[in-house]
Amino acid sequence: MMDRRTLVGVGAAVTSALGALFTGRAAHAKAADKVKPAGTLAPRGRFGRLERLASLDLESRQDFLMSFRAWVNTELSRAANARADAILNEKGIPKDANLTQQEAIALIQDDPIVSLSTRTWLSAQQLMWNGLKEEFEGNADKYLSEMEAADKMGPGTLELNPNKAWPDYVKHEIHIQPGGYVGNEFAGHMYHYGTNAFYTGRNFQDELHVGAAARMPIPKDGKVRRILDVGCGIGQLAMALKERFPDAEVWGIDVGGPMVRYAHLRAVERGLDVNFAQRLGEETGFPDGYFDIVTSYIMHHEVNPSGTAAMVKEAWRITRPGGVYYPLDFKLTGAPRRTAYGLYRSWMDHRWNNEVWTLKFRTNGLPDMIRQAGFELNEKEPELLRGFGVLNATKPATA
Amino acid sequence: MADDKKAPARTKAASDYIKGDTDSAVFLGNPHIDNLMTIVIAMGAEIWADRQRMRIIEHLLSTKGKVTTEMIEQYVPTEEQKAAWAAERDAMAKRVYSVMARDTSGARPFAEPREFN
Repeated sequence: MMDRRTLVGVGAAVTSALGALFTGRAAHAKAADKVKPAGTLAPRGRFGRLERLASLDLESRQDFLMSFRAWVNTELSRAANARADAILNEKGIPKDANLTQQEAIALIQDDPIVSLSTRTWLSAQQLMWNGLKEEFEGNADKYLSEMEAADKMGPGTLELNPNKAWPDYVKHEIHIQPGGYVGNEFAGHMYHYGTNAFYTGRNFQDELHVGAAARMPIPKDGKVRRILDVGCGIGQLAMALKERFPDAEVWGIDVGGPMVRYAHLRAVERGLDVNFAQRLGEETGFPDGYFDIVTSYIMHHEVNPSGTAAMVKEAWRITRPGGVYYPLDFKLTGAPRRTAYGLYRSWMDHRWNNEVWTLKFRTNGLPDMIRQAGFELNEKEPELLRGFGVLNATKPATA
Repeated sequence: MADDKKAPARTKAASDYIKGDTDSAVFLGNPHIDNLMTIVIAMGAEIWADRQRMRIIEHLLSTKGKVTTEMIEQYVPTEEQKAAWAAERDAMAKRVYSVMARDTSGARPFAEPREFN
């Protein structure tokens, strides 16, 4: 069984041969989507949709860090939350006092358990990224050869624009990922394996993306000929949408060149005709009214307010009358985390996990932007991902 | 001949980025203590990697009667094994690290005297 790792061993000097091998892999990769019979031996290549990490040790360390993070997020966070409440109580401050974020931080940040909860969470995050970075950068020739072999292969297309001047807001190391989405050749690789910890193990078969694609609403006239995933990352939702709508022209755009390049690699090996391009959501380059569905997957909280406003306007322009706009993201409705520890943790996420724009996302008025653009806003259904927001909209058929 | 040794020109997709400063964060009062905490977590990951390898070796020896590095690296666990090993992993994290969640608000100073009866 030929897999991505085996192909790399052939070497960069035989790119054409690699290309031929990739062509032959389309059907093979699709077949590999069927999970191997359990309990049997298989190459350390694919497991279903997943190209397994190159070594058992690396895979095991990543798994452990995922478990550790889950422990921090549960037992240690509960203990820290209890300590935060106790500190407030000692100071005669009600638990539900309307504290500002900085007031809450000042009250609890020096407590040993509270500070430990931050240190351990971030240490696990750093260890996770560093382990992946070491693997991909340490074997750069192999991994770059794989991508170069796939770059010009289809069935879908790849467009890279690394020399374009991108706005600063996209250049941050979001989630402290080394180099962020734009600055490391292996951003897509690292994001793919690293976010498995965020998804607590439900990422490697694109589980959530497939679920979101299955529940994606369609225009009332039932016509789905073209779909765009804005800020597509490594293309998980775009590919899942292509699987649901095999006859549709599907595009994924993202400002991260290494992200769409990795997305294209995965689409090539899976034989999926999805087009990926390194472009901004504010300037997609598509004609007016081109798409039946414009969507994004947990993207807007990584965008600054002016970028978000421009993206909503652009979505209006490229969505056809009667088309659907679904910018899936975190919930904006419901009670925000107002406990002292909740405020502290959201600051930790923003300041130290480099979720640079997430605080502004909560107050930037996205629903109003969507409504003011001209869309008919729906804030009630359908829920594409359990626990996430349901903001979606339709462009009136008469627009 | 020197040209033969030149690295191939690579297609680039990455561009400039803004570096974060989380590596310089200190939360435990002393950067070395912060480092030690990172080391403690990293050691847990290393121990688990060895344990995972051992579980696979045990399984292969008991079912195949032999084991090679390739067999270990390529082994695909059953659903039952995946669930069992994940539970073992979670339990190990809890067992090893739960002490960090203990309430330290009543911590006593080293030199504090105490009357013993």
